[in-house]
Amino acid sequence: MIITKDHIGGLVFLCLSLLYGYYAGDIQMLPGDEFEPFTARTVPHTLAILGGLLSMALLLTADRTESKRLSLSNYDFALVAKLLVLIVVFGLALEWTGFMLATMLFLVGGFWLLGERSIKTLLMVSVPFAVGIWFVLAKLLDIYLAPGQLYMNLFGG
Amino acid sequence: MLDGIFTGLSTAVMPFNLLMVVVGCFAGTFIGMLPGLGPISAVALMIPITYGLDPSSGIILMAGVYYGAVFGGSTSSILINAPGCASTVVTAFDGYPLAQKNQAGKALALAAYSSFTGGTVGALALLFAAPALAKVSLSFQSTDYFALMILGLTAVAAFSGKGQVIKALIMTIFGLMIATVGTDTTSGATRFTFGSIDLIDGISFLLLAMATFALTEVVMTVLRGEHREEEEQVDMSKLGSMKLSKEEIKEVAPTIARSSVFGFLVGVLPGAGATIASFLAYGLERNLASAKEKLKFGKGSLRGLAAPESANNAASTGSFVPLLTLGIPGSGTTAIMLGALIAYGIQPGPRLFLDHPDVFWSVIISMYFGNLVLLILNLPLIPYISKLLVIPRPILIPMILFFSITGVYLVSFNTFDIQMMVVITVIAIFLKLLEFPMAPMLLGYILGGLMETNLSRALVISDGSLAFLWERPLTLSIISIAIIVLVVPPVLDLFRNRKGVRGPEVVVNEGEG
Repeated sequence: MIITKDHIGGLVFLCLSLLYGYYAGDIQMLPGDEFEPFTARTVPHTLAILGGLLSMALLLTADRTESKRLSLSNYDFALVAKLLVLIVVFGLALEWTGFMLATMLFLVGGFWLLGERSIKTLLMVSVPFAVGIWFVLAKLLDIYLAPGQLYMNLFGG
Repeated sequence: MLDGIFTGLSTAVMPFNLLMVVVGCFAGTFIGMLPGLGPISAVALMIPITYGLDPSSGIILMAGVYYGAVFGGSTSSILINAPGCASTVVTAFDGYPLAQKNQAGKALALAAYSSFTGGTVGALALLFAAPALAKVSLSFQSTDYFALMILGLTAVAAFSGKGQVIKALIMTIFGLMIATVGTDTTSGATRFTFGSIDLIDGISFLLLAMATFALTEVVMTVLRGEHREEEEQVDMSKLGSMKLSKEEIKEVAPTIARSSVFGFLVGVLPGAGATIASFLAYGLERNLASAKEKLKFGKGSLRGLAAPESANNAASTGSFVPLLTLGIPGSGTTAIMLGALIAYGIQPGPRLFLDHPDVFWSVIISMYFGNLVLLILNLPLIPYISKLLVIPRPILIPMILFFSITGVYLVSFNTFDIQMMVVITVIAIFLKLLEFPMAPMLLGYILGGLMETNLSRALVISDGSLAFLWERPLTLSIISIAIIVLVVPPVLDLFRNRKGVRGPEVVVNEGEG
């Protein structure tokens, strides 16, 4: 039997619908809600049932041709994973190093990951860009950008 | 109505709003030119900027970006055979062969004139159709709204392409599920927050739209290794003349007129959008052509280029009719605009026409200005705008990623949102690899809250009975249309398959455009 993209998708959504329906039972009800025609659980329960039915329909009608098999070759998952980690690090850096430095680090990291190796280009693009964006946000648009924990610890404020 | 038109006109001609149209058209053209990024991504990238503007200016900017992105998509279709978005795929069929014959200038000019005419016909039709429909829909009750939302969701699913109906419906349900995360507005109960304070307000529209349409689209280009591809350099000396001869104008004029009206009508249908309009208009034009003319299609036919270009712009305008009058988006892009309007505290629908005439009319009027800007400013500047494409991808991609992330961060100032975006992007990539369409999910998410409110009202009024679905003729009619829209395409497919008739394989995108 060929396992295709539709089978995988159907199974994933079937599990999701089951879990969703299970957790819908945990939603707090107000006293007397059991006599009401509509409660906070009505829509989640309906969605869980509809999701389950549609997932089963997808599993039953799934295209079984070879071309629909999930092929993960020709995709650069490692690079994408590195980029996503870089985004997470950028989020953490925002709190520690502040907006401008975090932006520079993110851009240098991003350019580097995507194959730019010239140090001159890395710095010539990221530094003016980060300073420019910071100037527009903090000075022109008057948006408060926290200086970052590191700066606060070193210089106080 | 005249009062409203003047209010809209005075809002639209304010220097700042005119600037928004121009900026929107330019930004849209540039983003639309980048292969892989279409109008949805372009409009999504603008959401954070619009948060700092008043509603009229914000929506005017988005409309400008929408138009610009469709135009930019046509430009890259013609010049480098790389459609920036699905609605301009057909443009490449005849536009690129023309460019290869050193007639790129003519092709670009014809695309611009066709887009302008399509947009103008669309804007004029919108001027009359929208208020008329808004007046009718003033009599709608909560049951009718609930039915309308069902129609909007099913229509998007049904138009999602061959064999995709179930997948699109599943994504709609997934979007509705995401909409239930957070505090329930009717009872105040928290749902699916798993004790996290960050989820009490639910997942924000901005975060979801940016993660699924801006971040995911860019990351997908990296995943497919497209960032390594060398940019095809466009030789501007080979653009050729941008002038069309009298005979050529005579040849394409009826095509443009037909396709504009046709495109608008298709665009008005909830869920259809510019992509389907462009494919259908091309097919229609090919069928109407003489046997000799038919042979030219796909090899550089002027009619083959004019038809989809007029239709996709008219349909882009047409898709604003259900958005502005019923609050039901006609496409993925207008769904994002619906979300932005709701974020402003404006509820699109029949009351918009009465409560916010400035927004309603200024959007319609600025669309016309948008067309003018594209024709007068963008067309002559295309050789220069396309030079921006020379920026190497390794430099461009991190910058777009940066704008997507900080766009969300600068609204909430909560780094949890950045981590959440990464989680949603990972899920979206997985779903895209499994060929699940994204637009129905966003529509389900946006309409989820409204649908629940209307369903709760209808059920309380009818004391828990579902009879409201068939007792009110208007509700019943809308529900019947929804069923027909949902059932007819798969049944027709089934019949075609049995007869062994294979239609042209049209991979229609996810209600984008």
